[in-house]
Amino acid sequence: MSKKVLVVDDDPDVRLFTVTVLEQHGYTPLEATNGEEGKQMIKEDRPDLVILDVLMPRESGVRLYRELKTDKKLRDLPVVILSGIAEKSFLRSQKALTEFGGDPVPEPEYYLEKPVEAEELARTIQKILG
Amino acid sequence: MNRLLLIDDEPDILRVLSRSLRSDGYEVLTAENGKEGLAVFQKERPAIILTDIKMPGMGGIEVLKAIKKKDENAEVIIITGHGDIDNAIEALKYGASDFINKPIRDEALSLALKRAEEKIRIREQLREYTVNLEKKVEEATRELRRKTNFMAKLIRSSNDGIIATDKHFTVVLFNPSAERIFGYRAEEVVDRMPAKSIMPKEIIESFRGESTGDDQRAELPWQETTLPIKDGSRIPVRFAGTLLHEKDQVVGSVAFFQDLREIKRLEKEVVHAERLSAVGETVAGLAHGIKNILHGLKGGSYLVDIGIENEDPDKLKTGWEMVQRNIGRTADLVLDMLNYAKEREPEYETCRPNEIVEDVASLVAEKAERNAVSISLELDPEVGELVMDPRTIHRVMLNLASNAVDACIFDKNTGKQWQVQLTTARNGADMVRFAVSDNGSGMSDEVKKTLFTSFYSTKGHRGTGLGLLVTRKLVEEHGGRIEVESTLDQGTTFTVHLPARPADGESLEEDKPQFSGEEESK
Repeated sequence: MSKKVLVVDDDPDVRLFTVTVLEQHGYTPLEATNGEEGKQMIKEDRPDLVILDVLMPRESGVRLYRELKTDKKLRDLPVVILSGIAEKSFLRSQKALTEFGGDPVPEPEYYLEKPVEAEELARTIQKILG
Repeated sequence: MNRLLLIDDEPDILRVLSRSLRSDGYEVLTAENGKEGLAVFQKERPAIILTDIKMPGMGGIEVLKAIKKKDENAEVIIITGHGDIDNAIEALKYGASDFINKPIRDEALSLALKRAEEKIRIREQLREYTVNLEKKVEEATRELRRKTNFMAKLIRSSNDGIIATDKHFTVVLFNPSAERIFGYRAEEVVDRMPAKSIMPKEIIESFRGESTGDDQRAELPWQETTLPIKDGSRIPVRFAGTLLHEKDQVVGSVAFFQDLREIKRLEKEVVHAERLSAVGETVAGLAHGIKNILHGLKGGSYLVDIGIENEDPDKLKTGWEMVQRNIGRTADLVLDMLNYAKEREPEYETCRPNEIVEDVASLVAEKAERNAVSISLELDPEVGELVMDPRTIHRVMLNLASNAVDACIFDKNTGKQWQVQLTTARNGADMVRFAVSDNGSGMSDEVKKTLFTSFYSTKGHRGTGLGLLVTRKLVEEHGGRIEVESTLDQGTTFTVHLPARPADGESLEEDKPQFSGEEESK
């Protein structure tokens, strides 16, 4: 059975792009449109990888990433951040949240800044999932 | 004062009299005849002269005449024989101060002397007064000249343009600042031009009581208007005026003018600079938006490639649509940017605001319906035909209405019956209130704070972050204002107040909703 990859992004075009790349490379794509929905699907569908946007309505990628990496059961689930936000800004917000009294979280496995070429996205996924 | 000259040809009298006068405290000079007396007078200049009238050689009258000729203020007392009234009268005629009869009685003598002294004293005082008065007049004149010069300098160097007229409203004073503001030289105006060809009609009408037939108004408070100047253009000024009265009679008028060109220019510059800096802030935010759009374009072209490679028309179509959609997003972003950065004067024309709002409602209806948001209209029939900028109303209401629909779509509480209401209301003769309310997600205080001031999008990929900035700019250019009320999780109401003019009959130029910089009104 092919590996499941969850795409969490509020932009339908981004989802469509990523989903097509995944299909072309033989993965099973799953889609969520915000952090809340993403969290639920991670628990229910047990994906092998999460491709996560940062700026989303309802629950942002910053928060979902924190929740995943501080959850004993989920912290080993690999996450690729795919965002228009620069990696620096993402790390800065995580650091601020940690200083504010949260647990420290590791840096994401891979951080891709939009726009991303299909090949680079595919290469990254293959590196993680083989 | 206590020096006197005694002239008598009888040595006994001279001796007795001078002794008694000396004992009264006088310094007494004596002479035994008229000629000698005159010589002593010439030399010593006593203030009082006592002279016998009958003397050999030069008589008393001759002495009197000669002394008076030399000094008309000399007090000459004539000593006459008993009953010699004729001579006494003649002596008075020639300016004698007094006469006493022989034999000389002490009381009569001291009385005559006292009178003479009194006269001298009074004359002295009078002279002092006169000198003082002259000095004072001179001082006052000098002070007046100084003050007049000062006033003239004040008027000349005043930053305000000052124009004064006589009671016929002909210009009599036109200071250098007035020259600078109006472009005329004082020589062209003073005594040549009637005030009405220079001053705002408000001043003239108010002073003449023509506009209303009321009494003349003496004071015109500071107000703003535009005025034609020499080169034919109109400039913004602030002015005030006063009728000048003297004992209930109008004697003229004076008006003060402040050139607002520079201020208006600076105001515009500040607004412009603020906007540019908002655009600058926006660049950081924009980078994010642009990255997303580029990503969408890459995605679209990837799908198109796959569609071609695999001869899959569905993929090809989806990919092409994605490319087109992101081209559209690029256009939105660029247009918002341009709209925000660009100055635009409203184009006022007769329109029906209610119909514009109906059109806006139909434009957002499809998206609203797809997302279970109902749209309702509450349009005031009093808002009929009005002179406003229909494009401004349309853009503003469309921005706010699609925001409102988005606020419902973004709402976490899916149990709600989402509603967006568009309202119009006539607010007095010259105001229309537009409102857009929703019961969607609402805003936190933090979001509210940044709402109109900088790039900020809460809508993720959907917003350019410029929508409300553009909206506010359009509203302000139309002379209106925008307000927001919002409670998190409860909903938001945006209220826009725009000035309007009735469409029928009234002149379009007379009462514009605001000073708009369109200078060419007649």
